[in-house]
Amino acid sequence: MNDTPLRTRLRLYRMMYLIRRTEELLMAEYHPADEMRCPMHFCVGQEAMPAALAPVLRRDDVLMSHYRSHGYYLAKGAPLDAMVAEFYGKGTGANSGVAGSMELGSHDHNFYSGAIVGGSLFIPLGAAFSQKYRGVDDISVSVIGDGVFDEGITYEVFNLAALRHLPLLIICENNKYAAHTAIERRQAVTLLAERAKAFGLPIDKLDGNDAELLLRTLERLVPQIRAGKGPHFIEIATYRFCGHVGPGNDDSMGYRSADEVERWRARDPVVAMRKTLAGAVQPVELEQLERDVDAEVHDAIAKAKRADFADIRAIVANNWADEYAAVVDRFSSGVTPLFQAGQSEARPGPF
Amino acid sequence: MLSRDTKALAKSAQGTTRLSFAQAINSGLRQALELDAGVFVYGIGADGAAGIFGTTAGLVDTFGPKRVFDTPIAEAGLTALAAGAASTGLRPVLVHQRLDFMLYSVDQVVNWMAPWRFMSGGRAKMPVTIRAIIGKGWGQGPQHTKSLHAWFAHVPGLQVVMPGSPADAKGLLLSSIMSDDPTLFIEGRSLFSMQEEVPDAPYFIRLGEALVRRSGHDVTVVTMGSMVPLSLQAADTLAKSTISAEVLDLRSLMPLDVEAIIASVRKTGRLVVAEPGWRMYGAGAEIVATVAEALGKDIRSRPRRVTWPQSAVPTGSKLEEQFYPTSEDIVAACRASVTEELSEE
Repeated sequence: MNDTPLRTRLRLYRMMYLIRRTEELLMAEYHPADEMRCPMHFCVGQEAMPAALAPVLRRDDVLMSHYRSHGYYLAKGAPLDAMVAEFYGKGTGANSGVAGSMELGSHDHNFYSGAIVGGSLFIPLGAAFSQKYRGVDDISVSVIGDGVFDEGITYEVFNLAALRHLPLLIICENNKYAAHTAIERRQAVTLLAERAKAFGLPIDKLDGNDAELLLRTLERLVPQIRAGKGPHFIEIATYRFCGHVGPGNDDSMGYRSADEVERWRARDPVVAMRKTLAGAVQPVELEQLERDVDAEVHDAIAKAKRADFADIRAIVANNWADEYAAVVDRFSSGVTPLFQAGQSEARPGPF
Repeated sequence: MLSRDTKALAKSAQGTTRLSFAQAINSGLRQALELDAGVFVYGIGADGAAGIFGTTAGLVDTFGPKRVFDTPIAEAGLTALAAGAASTGLRPVLVHQRLDFMLYSVDQVVNWMAPWRFMSGGRAKMPVTIRAIIGKGWGQGPQHTKSLHAWFAHVPGLQVVMPGSPADAKGLLLSSIMSDDPTLFIEGRSLFSMQEEVPDAPYFIRLGEALVRRSGHDVTVVTMGSMVPLSLQAADTLAKSTISAEVLDLRSLMPLDVEAIIASVRKTGRLVVAEPGWRMYGAGAEIVATVAEALGKDIRSRPRRVTWPQSAVPTGSKLEEQFYPTSEDIVAACRASVTEELSEE
C-alpha cells in the first residue's frame, strides 16, 4: 500500500514533528516572557515541504526561504540550538543574535532567509549561476510564498533562470494569503505555476500537505537538476494554521473564514503523517520519538535563555570585511599615479 | 602574471602606457579576469562591439561568453544575480551604462548586499563590484546624469569609489573587484577620454586612502571623481595669483580618509569641497561637518562647497554648460576663503 520505506517515513515524521513542536513550544514561550524580542512568523501547518527537502539536499546545496523560515532552517541540517538562541538575540545564535527570526541564516549550512519579499527568490538565482559557473553539481532551492507573485522582480528571475539554464528549484508555498490579504484581492489572475511555465520553466502542482508525495517528486526532480536539466518550478497548496506574525491567532481579523480554517485543519500534515505510521510502528516507539524531540526543544530553549548577548562593539564591526583577495598581496600597492596636473577636462563626443 | 613575485612586478611596473580613462578601465578589467577565475563581467552591451564606451571592448574575445556577457534589461534581477554569486564565492562585476538605470536595483543593493555580512554575524562576504557611469557633457539630461554617491555612501556595508584619473581608475577598480565588500564604482563619463601614463602591471590602491594631488598651504580643496581635474585646473589658476591650493583627491567616499582631510585642513586652515553632485545632504556636507567636529575654531575661514545646484540636470548642452560648476567656481570659492578672515570672538 505504501511504497516509501518505513525508515524514510519515520525520518519525515521526525522532522515534521520537530518543526511543529519547535513552533508550539516557542509560541508558548513568546508571551508573556517577552524574552524573544523579534517578529516571528511561525509555520504551523506548513511542515511537509521542509521535511521532504531534508533528505534530498546536501550541505553544499543552497537553500533560501521566505521569512516563515524555521522549518527550512532545520531541514537544511542547521542546529536547533543556534536557531533558538538567535531568536533570543544571543551571541550563540546562528547569526550572533543580529538577525532574529526574519533574517535567520546559517552560512555554514548554506541556508538563508530574509524579511523583504522576493529575496528568497532572487538570491538563489545568483547562487545557481555560481554553481553552474563553477561546474559543480550542487543546486539552489528557492522557497517563496504566493506573495512573491505580486512583485515585479519575480518575472526577471524566471526569465534569467530559464535563459541561462540554471540549476534552480523554485518552490512556491501557496497558502493563499500574503500577510492578511487573500490572493484574489491581489491578483487579477490567480494562476501561479502557469506564469512560471510561460517563461519556460517546467512545473509541478502538488498537494503541499502530503510529505510522501513531495519527497517522491523531489527524489525525481533534484537529480535531474543536478545533472544540468535546468530550472524547475513547484507550486504546492498548503495552509498556515497560525497567525501571520507572532504566536497569537489572528482569525478574529476576519480575513479568512472559520470554515476554511477548519477544512485545512482536517488535513493537518503532521497528523496525516503520523497516521501512516500508526500501523507500522509500535505506539510506544512513536511516543519515545516524540518525547526525545520535546526534550531536545526544551533543552534548546533553556540553553538559549542561559547564553550571553554578543558584545555590541564586535557586532557593529561586522558591516565591512575590509579585506582583499589573497592575490592582492602579491602585487605592489599604493602606486602613485602620474597625473598630469592642469590637463583640461575631457570633452566627450556624441554618443 | 600569477607567478610574478613583488620584486619582479615592481620592475615591470616601471613600464607604463599612455591610456585613456576608458582604456585604463579596460586594462583593469582584463587583469582582474586574468587574476581570478571567479571574476565575470556583465551588463547590457558588455560584449558588444562598442564595449560600453570601450571599457569592455575585446574582453569577450579573450575570456569567452561564460565570463563576459550581455544581459536582458533587468537591472534588479542582474543585481540579485551578483549578490547570490558573490555570496557563493564569485567576484561579479556588473556594469550600468548610466547610474540612473541601477535604481531598479536599490532593494538588492541596500536591503541585501549591504547588510549581508552584518546579518551573518560577520561570517559572510559580498565581493560585488557595480560599475555605474555618470553622463555629463554633450547633453544627457535628468535620467542620465545622477550621481548618487552620497546616497549609497550613507548605507553601512557599502563602499563607494570615485576615481579622478586613468591610473587611479585602474588601480581602484582592481582593488574594488578584489575587495570582499560590495562596492559601487562611479565613473564620470566626462573623464573617459582623459589620458595619462598608466602602469602596465596590475596594481592595487587601498580603498580609503586619499591622495594629495597637489601640495599647497593656503587652502585645501577636497574633491572626487570628475571634479578632480577641475580642481587641479583651479589650483593652477590660483597659483598665478600666489594662492597655494592643496588638492586632496578622496578616491573613495566610503571608506573615507578622515585623517587625510583633517591633516590637510589643519595645515592650510581653509576648506573648499568640490563635489560632482547635489549640494544638500551631499558628501560635502559630511566633509564640512567632519572638519568642524575635529578642528572647531582652528580654521581660518568658513568652509565652502562647490556643487551642482539643487536641481535635476537639464539636457540641452547650452543649459548644461550653465548648470555645472567650472574650475572658475572653484577658483572663486578658494579666493573668497583666503580673503575672508574669521574675526577673533
